[in-house]
Amino acid sequence: MNTLLAVIIGALTVYLAYTLYARRIDRRVIQSDPKRATPATLYMDGVDFMPTNRNILFGYHFKSIAAAGPIIGAIVAASLWGWLPAIIWLILGVSFIGWASDYSAIVISVRNDGNSLSAIAHKLVSPRTRTVLFVFIFFYLLLVAGAFVGIMATVLESQPKTQFGVIVLTAMGLLLGQMLYRWRTGLVGATVLTVGITMLAILAGGWSEGIFGALNAGLNNLTGGAPIVTYFDPMLAGFKGAEAKIMPSLLFWALAICAFCYAGSVLPIWRMAQPVVYVGFWITATAMFLGLLGAAVAGFVKPEVAQFVIPAFRGWNPQLGPSGIMPLWPMLFVTIACGAISGWHALFGAVGTARQIENEADMLPVGGGSMLTEFLLALLALLAVAVGAKGAPVAAFATGLGGFISVWGVPIQYATSLAFAAFIVIVLVVTQLLFRVMRVTLSEWLGDVIPPVRNQHVASLVSIALAILLVLTGTWVYLWQLFGGANQLMAALSLLLVTVWLASVGKNWLFAGLPAIFMYVTTIAALLVTAYNIYFNVYQPNMAAGRMVPVVGSGLMVLVALLLVAAAIMIGIDGWRAFQRYRRRPAPAPKPAAARA
Amino acid sequence: MLPRSVTDRVARLREAAGRFVYGLTGYEFARHALAMRHEMEAVFMVVTLGDLIGVPVLPPVYSVRLLPYVVPQIAAWKRDMARRKEFLEKDEYDLHAV
Repeated sequence: MNTLLAVIIGALTVYLAYTLYARRIDRRVIQSDPKRATPATLYMDGVDFMPTNRNILFGYHFKSIAAAGPIIGAIVAASLWGWLPAIIWLILGVSFIGWASDYSAIVISVRNDGNSLSAIAHKLVSPRTRTVLFVFIFFYLLLVAGAFVGIMATVLESQPKTQFGVIVLTAMGLLLGQMLYRWRTGLVGATVLTVGITMLAILAGGWSEGIFGALNAGLNNLTGGAPIVTYFDPMLAGFKGAEAKIMPSLLFWALAICAFCYAGSVLPIWRMAQPVVYVGFWITATAMFLGLLGAAVAGFVKPEVAQFVIPAFRGWNPQLGPSGIMPLWPMLFVTIACGAISGWHALFGAVGTARQIENEADMLPVGGGSMLTEFLLALLALLAVAVGAKGAPVAAFATGLGGFISVWGVPIQYATSLAFAAFIVIVLVVTQLLFRVMRVTLSEWLGDVIPPVRNQHVASLVSIALAILLVLTGTWVYLWQLFGGANQLMAALSLLLVTVWLASVGKNWLFAGLPAIFMYVTTIAALLVTAYNIYFNVYQPNMAAGRMVPVVGSGLMVLVALLLVAAAIMIGIDGWRAFQRYRRRPAPAPKPAAARA
Repeated sequence: MLPRSVTDRVARLREAAGRFVYGLTGYEFARHALAMRHEMEAVFMVVTLGDLIGVPVLPPVYSVRLLPYVVPQIAAWKRDMARRKEFLEKDEYDLHAV
């Protein structure tokens, strides 16, 4: 297998899924009508409801759904099961489930006055669905924040050449916000300046490696080389598990990330979060664009970086830790989330994108098209790790992507630096947004019961403290799989809601209903397997050794997994009852569509 | 020379690509700037609220000077105020994917 063949398979998947399946559902089941007025045209307020050109909206929606998820999921899955199961799930997932989830979330919102999924669930399913959704969202964010902070701290600590670039990225983000919103500088000039300086800092990372390496060594000398926390990590020693140590330097970088996220969470969004995301976007987009094109032509130009070197298949149930189980079903289907299907896309699509749809004919290219494009991003990540193969999964990804970029004549050390930076930047900028959203969710959820959490500083610090507790368990793979479970369950619930809506308006519900059942059963099973793994692989060994920090952290993770399962069962029962209610009822006569002005 | 249909198609493709890139990059800033202006305009709306409901809160001379600017926005403002909003709709909830 080589990268050109994989890129061709990916492009064919996108083409066939869109033309043979998605378009047919759009025409025959949903019957999108370009003459029907959309909420954007009916309720235009110039801000939320705003008719927008489909190409602009495609770019906006794609950027909003594509970030670190498709990259990390593919990396982890390829490391655990091999590249073949990963690529098969990506292709089947996006073709039959992923695009349908993203597209139908936009459809259901457009056909329900631009309402959010929770508002529609309140109306169609049951009032308590909204509260359960809060639980999902908060823990979803907590899990992914814990996983991302853990990954980032490890990468930053072990790769001193990347740290300078991150510091400059932060400074340039702050400068960009000031230039755009205060000094009213043009976007193009400000972009060239800030992105250019950040790129130079990333490429000059090798120059600063010695300085930051010395800083790490100095920090570790503070405790005389002794670790702050010791824990059992089932990921080590070739997935057999071994003792792991959290050194002062790792804690320092974890806290530095938290400080960055705290600032991103409490400062006005234009001041830091938004411009940092923007600068980071250019870095990542450059690396990914060059990488994807490089992967396509590498077979002709530089064949040595185009051959897959990891095994195609590592087994149905690879060993992870002494007592853990990692069966391909259901675990692969939550490990790779965003490149195949993601619940967050549905949430965002319903409130962010649906209200800007100018024309019903745009729903498919924007919703389905963006998801199919994101699949290509996940495919690129999978290819990079499949050809990289050196060291830890993240390092393998950076090596592989660096190889693809080097096809264009970029020296390999700079290409690898850019690939590493792309990974770090995309995870880092998303993490600051996660904490921002967590604080909003926490204050909305518990603000009435615990008034202090309405304060943005308190809510941010509570969120960060919880995430750090999870990081100190050290097992980010389980955190990632729990996050994947929560994310996929949200997707299942979104598809369930669409199924209920389709039944309520007398349409064929199978295109959403069958994926909803599959994802629902799979993700509940995956959450239970993960809870089992955490208990036997992390909780028990650390309890036996009397290490309380990882015990508390892993105990919290088991609790979260069980809570998510309970919440899913509640929504499932409510959804099934609503579905039966609407199926028994005769289909309503179609309302005359509001005509476009 | 290329046939007209080909050049038209290339031009349309370039335009679509340009819009796609704008959607990826500058559109978010434009939306946020609009949202900031919307917040500012809401303040002026509140200033003229008294006159809208027939209870002069401010000396009418100021409202009268503002009215020509806010009248075109009144319908959209009323809809915005009346719409029940979910916590998911907060600006700060924009996660830009995970």
